[in-house]
Amino acid sequence: MSIAEYDYTIIGAGPAGMAAAITARKHGLNVLVLDEQPAVGGQIFRNIEGLEKYRNSEYHKLGEEYLSGSKLVQQFRNSGVVYLNGRSVWQIDGDLGIHHVSTIPTDQKSSVPQFCKTKYLLIAVGAMERPMPLPGWTLPGVMACTAADVLYKSSGMIPQGKVILAGSGPLLLLIACRLLDAGVKISAFLDTTPRGALIQALPNLPKALRSFGYLKKGLEMLWKLRTSGIPIYTGIQEIEALGNSKLEKVRFKKGMKHPEVSADLLLLHNGVVPNVQITRQLACDHSWYDVQRYWEPIVDDWGNTSMERTAVAGDCGRVSGAVVSEISGHLSALDTVRQLGAITLNERDKLSRNLRQSLQSHKSARPFLDKLFQPRQNQIVPNKEDVLVCRCEEVTVREIRETVRLGFQNPDRLKSMIRCGMGPCQARMCGLSVSEIIADEKQISPGEVGYFKIRSPLKPITIGQLAEND
Amino acid sequence: MFKKQYESHETVTIIFEGKSLDVEIGQTVAAALLGDGHLIFRYTRVSGEPRAAYCFMGVCFECLLEINGQRNQQGCMIPVSDGMKIKRQLPPKVKIL
Amino acid sequence: MINENAEVVVVGGGVIGVSLAYGMVKNGAKVILIDKVDNRLTASRGNFGLVWVQGKGKGMPRYVEWSIEATEKWPEFAENLETESGFNLNYEKTGGLEICLGEEEHQERVNFIEEMSKASSSGRYDCEMISLKELQSMIPEIKLGKEVTGASFCSHDGCVNPLNLLKAMSSSFQENGGGYRPEQFVQKIEYSSNSFKIETGTHSFNSKKLVLACGLMTTKLASMVGMNVPVIAERGQILVTESTSRVFNYPTAGIRQNYDGSFMLGGSHETVVHNIETSYEVLQNIAKRAIRILPNLKNLQMIRSWAALRVLTPDKMPVYLESDQYPGAYAITSHSGVSLASIHSSNLVDWILEEKIPLGFSSFHPQRFNVQEAI
Repeated sequence: MSIAEYDYTIIGAGPAGMAAAITARKHGLNVLVLDEQPAVGGQIFRNIEGLEKYRNSEYHKLGEEYLSGSKLVQQFRNSGVVYLNGRSVWQIDGDLGIHHVSTIPTDQKSSVPQFCKTKYLLIAVGAMERPMPLPGWTLPGVMACTAADVLYKSSGMIPQGKVILAGSGPLLLLIACRLLDAGVKISAFLDTTPRGALIQALPNLPKALRSFGYLKKGLEMLWKLRTSGIPIYTGIQEIEALGNSKLEKVRFKKGMKHPEVSADLLLLHNGVVPNVQITRQLACDHSWYDVQRYWEPIVDDWGNTSMERTAVAGDCGRVSGAVVSEISGHLSALDTVRQLGAITLNERDKLSRNLRQSLQSHKSARPFLDKLFQPRQNQIVPNKEDVLVCRCEEVTVREIRETVRLGFQNPDRLKSMIRCGMGPCQARMCGLSVSEIIADEKQISPGEVGYFKIRSPLKPITIGQLAEND
Repeated sequence: MFKKQYESHETVTIIFEGKSLDVEIGQTVAAALLGDGHLIFRYTRVSGEPRAAYCFMGVCFECLLEINGQRNQQGCMIPVSDGMKIKRQLPPKVKIL
Repeated sequence: MINENAEVVVVGGGVIGVSLAYGMVKNGAKVILIDKVDNRLTASRGNFGLVWVQGKGKGMPRYVEWSIEATEKWPEFAENLETESGFNLNYEKTGGLEICLGEEEHQERVNFIEEMSKASSSGRYDCEMISLKELQSMIPEIKLGKEVTGASFCSHDGCVNPLNLLKAMSSSFQENGGGYRPEQFVQKIEYSSNSFKIETGTHSFNSKKLVLACGLMTTKLASMVGMNVPVIAERGQILVTESTSRVFNYPTAGIRQNYDGSFMLGGSHETVVHNIETSYEVLQNIAKRAIRILPNLKNLQMIRSWAALRVLTPDKMPVYLESDQYPGAYAITSHSGVSLASIHSSNLVDWILEEKIPLGFSSFHPQRFNVQEAI
């Protein structure tokens, strides 16, 4: 059987992926989009088509953003792109051979090939939540706050019982407002943003005013929260989830007090970080973005990484939100179109001029927001030593610290000693925390510590699939 | 703990722990089970402690279920299908020599 | 420049270096173990964890006996190490299998075992062919593939958790007063008045003895102290599956089921230098062969894969050498650092500390490669 070959393969069908596909198709490229999700939209526009079709009134409540999202989706659907949903990429070879498999285990008869070659690759897999290890975070009933967003958009489900939101960041605010709009009664909002954060962020405010829309939206959300009647606690530390076999209470520290509130659901958020699993597997160079404490792939102005013919667009580069993601998708595709010879350098620059202006304007709020919601080390490294850092292999803070003190001070060495990072999630949930703890022990920056070596399979595949995959 | 706010437009029947459930087509297994009130999906290999889905977007690997006889399936990534058999994932039986 | 003194400086934090360092502090020696900046190439953290005799030593009877002696020492070595360190080694001495696919492989194995048995000077080499029926009765809970003809079974063989082995010895070494210095890269070695001065850029170590157990770096460092020890890198790739109930209770060189229920599949060999990337073709071949032997493996998910570089001498057998020009400097390199950990931490330590040369030791001298000593 001959192997399918494409000019341009895009991994991810959020705003960045869709935009890149649209632009690439406009210039006649043969484009494949591989999407792990069941339908287009990524995280921000999750189930956008389903919502519009089956839950129209809720769809309209999601506002302007969703309306413009629908326009993008429509252009994407009409672009002539080859779109494969429910496909997980499990390995990318050095010469950009792409191995992918169906996310549906019983889909053995799928006639869509599981390997293809591509001339150019765009990674547009978006972001994920920064892991927030704390005592009891593995208890059933504790979830990442985006889970509530996913469940609402994909399944129209809202939480019942005593719901507590805890953490720091614009997304937490957004989810709180969304839940309020859906009629959820939130028991408490625990804000861990440290006192003084606003003052520290103020120098970036003038630049942020250029995209006043973002700030206005933020202020509106804050106002909505403040006037909702929800008990709001600020300057919170030392959150603990308590319960026997599931969540029952949440304890936290405010000033000198340690209040406890009963809870059925605890939604945590401590910022959004790029999903670098694929760029790591490809051994792209990454740099440490200290303000927001995460690694991002090193790219040029068009998203091209240190690996040949491989670019990134959207939040898996620098986390900047949906609009910036979309623009970066268009820009990255334009340069790829140029690299393939379909347009000249001058044409590329001409076509990208307006996009660049728009990009600058939409990015201008970011330094302020990144500084305002800058994660502090004490919010990332749990102070209690028996907290599980690696959820898969159940490795504690204590084990990590003790092993570093034995001289095993590098994430991979540590991994071979105590198994953290060896489980199915392949360090997605513990990688950043491990680097932070080693950094704390050695009194250096996590950027100097480095990160685990990430290898295939990016997602598990069966031995049978591996053997038969011809 | 999570409840559906609207009527399903089309349903399929899945079987969870031997019991039949009618769930909306297009939902993920994880969402469907949670909506029916099932929070705990598995017991860990290392300590046997109970776990529930955490991120619902394919990152955390906590939502691992046994689906149609295959273990370690991410419930949040797999859409429900008619007749699908789902079980909570138990630790593998490990015999020490 | 930080100055440190010791009786022995061991260069190399892999299983061989750590075995030697561990054995030496137990003998009361003051030892410092230096380990270069981690570049993830170590064979010690990428191997299969076999404690093995079966396939090794063809052409060098002395090595066969050496391996057998090592596996005989292993149970006591494991027990002591577990007690001292508090870490579980998951050591199992069940005997090991080499499963044959097809008549040609089977006959090759029959011939090989016969040759090895004949060459065993002590007559202790205990390996025999077993039939398909016998083999299946040993692993009744998992079905063998149609092409399986039988296997060779060697009673000396077993397996261990190689990462825990490294962890246990490292921890015990440090608890017994050993000094572990990571991120040290040897730049210069000086020798005067029967003492060595080893400089790493940040540290200067002074010692009476210098033991080089530094894997692929051995050739370079050994040449600095008058020894010519050729080694080459050979890449091996391994994949690990999800955990499942324990059904496969005997290790083989290409398939084993770990204590936690996951299967490890490997057994690949590629002559590649300094590259620890995995490749699709090799992993696929590993998967294909594994399914031919145990068809039910096809339903298990692969969760991780890795590659590491084996450190091999030209005939793949150990080199144990003391420098003529720089007495007190030793070069030690071997495949099977895990299998030999028991004997490295005892017999070799006696050789280094007390000059007790093991019997037939000349077999392990690199002059067998017809190599000129470095000037």
